[in-house]
Amino acid sequence: MAEIRAEMVANVWKVLVAEGDDVSDGDTLVILESMKMEIPILAEDAGTVGQLKVAEGDVVQEGDLIAVIE
Amino acid sequence: MTVLDNAVLGQQVAPQADPRDPQVRLQALFDDGTLRPLTAPHDRDDSGMLAGLGRVEGVPVVGFASDPRIQGGALGSAGCEVIVQAYDAALRERVPIVGLWHSGGARLREGVESLHGVGRIFAAMTRASGIVPQISVVLGPAAGGAAYGPALTDIVILSGDGRVFVTGPDVVRSVTGEDVDMARLGGPEPHSRRSGVVHMVTDTDAEAVAHARRLAALLGHQGTLRLRSVTDIDFGSLLPESTKRAYDVHPLLDGLLDGPAGTETGIVELHPKWAPNIVTALGRLGGRTVGVIANNPLRLGGCLDALSAEKAARFVRMCDAFGVPLVVVVDVPGYLPGLGQEWDGVVRRGAKLLHAFAEATVPRVTLVTRKAYGGAYIAMNSRALGATKVLAWPTAEVAVMGPVAAVRILHRRRLAEVPEDQRATVEAELAAEHQQLTGGLDRAKELGVIDQVISPDQTRTAIARAITEAGPARGAHSNIPL
Repeated sequence: MAEIRAEMVANVWKVLVAEGDDVSDGDTLVILESMKMEIPILAEDAGTVGQLKVAEGDVVQEGDLIAVIE
Repeated sequence: MTVLDNAVLGQQVAPQADPRDPQVRLQALFDDGTLRPLTAPHDRDDSGMLAGLGRVEGVPVVGFASDPRIQGGALGSAGCEVIVQAYDAALRERVPIVGLWHSGGARLREGVESLHGVGRIFAAMTRASGIVPQISVVLGPAAGGAAYGPALTDIVILSGDGRVFVTGPDVVRSVTGEDVDMARLGGPEPHSRRSGVVHMVTDTDAEAVAHARRLAALLGHQGTLRLRSVTDIDFGSLLPESTKRAYDVHPLLDGLLDGPAGTETGIVELHPKWAPNIVTALGRLGGRTVGVIANNPLRLGGCLDALSAEKAARFVRMCDAFGVPLVVVVDVPGYLPGLGQEWDGVVRRGAKLLHAFAEATVPRVTLVTRKAYGGAYIAMNSRALGATKVLAWPTAEVAVMGPVAAVRILHRRRLAEVPEDQRATVEAELAAEHQQLTGGLDRAKELGVIDQVISPDQTRTAIARAITEAGPARGAHSNIPL
């Protein structure tokens, strides 16, 4: 199980997966927007999206949980 | 304990030999049959330390290894003396030195005498700092003095079973009550991602030693840049169309140097998972060792922050100390602002990168591929800091900030009066006007902060030529582990 957390304060611009989706290592889960950059959040392991904690338009703080890959 | 002489040390150890035997470990480090002991044979008693001179890809290198079978490899005064002698030899011969660590720290039984010995190792390492490359490979638990030893060296490699900590879980539990296991306290995961204590982690000892060999050869035999052997690659298609889109910089770096990561001539990335928004790597260009520093837009948008500035500063100073030319690949939207960064000391740590570049005398060539904004533009080896040459792709933007962000500040009142549905259009118009006024790349060229705008398919030769024209240089300073 891998927790994926925000590395910086950002807006959630796009959510590309849903809970229950299978993902591979390197897949884009969510795209954040910060510093006027679109920053993809990638899966670091293959697995299933167990939890998805953000929705488009949310603001995440550094360290906030974005998703859990099981 | 077997008494060994030169002839025995030079031979292959029998297959049933103990893999923890320092002789076996040193033989794996050196080219076959090249290990010669540095200490007299009778010194290999119970000191738990073995030192030798050998060759790595033909390059002379000094190595030493602790013996975890004797008191867990703990350092007594005799063992410490072996390491100090190894350092004296490396300095005398001006060759890289590689330490293979597996040691519980200072010997308790010897009391302050062992502490004094460990301190002498630290002093020897500091004396050699910036003069000869120092590489540490941690193959087992390395605590206390055995942790700070590697930490004082230029590059630390941690094998799967390696652990680095001030003190182990038992003492931690008894003094603070914290319950934590060895791997979480000082294993590959925390040190590769969180602490930055180690530069590389590997699954196996064999891989760790192979990395040490590669790095010793890169730093010990830097070679000559053969301009004629440098062929160009078109990097034009590597950048995404949208300037806001993040991308991974690694494919660009793989193409920029002589071979991709993982190959014999490929780049060796240091600290790949710690502060990954900046990439620091060694590799070869036209056969010559170079160091590469690159923003990676995939992580934190490529912003500089406290950790990445500190990581890059240490790398710049290491390369400068050993005369390794630098290639700086810039795509940076700025220094990351905010509470977390300020409290983390982004100003103090960011200043280290400014200092490191400004004092560096080694040839250092900057390539701006896309964004170079604000304070981060200055920090990424700008002309003002003394860059040898600043190259830019036609896609480069050099400015205090992006044009839209700039007009939102400059024309805040006027934009506030514009109805919301028209605001984006007006912003775009003002941004275009702002670009013309501030001049973009042409103005940067006029000012001399960019020397040359090059097509992406000329990148390799342009960088190689700039390094060649600059000639060799080397900073005269130590490499403090910043």
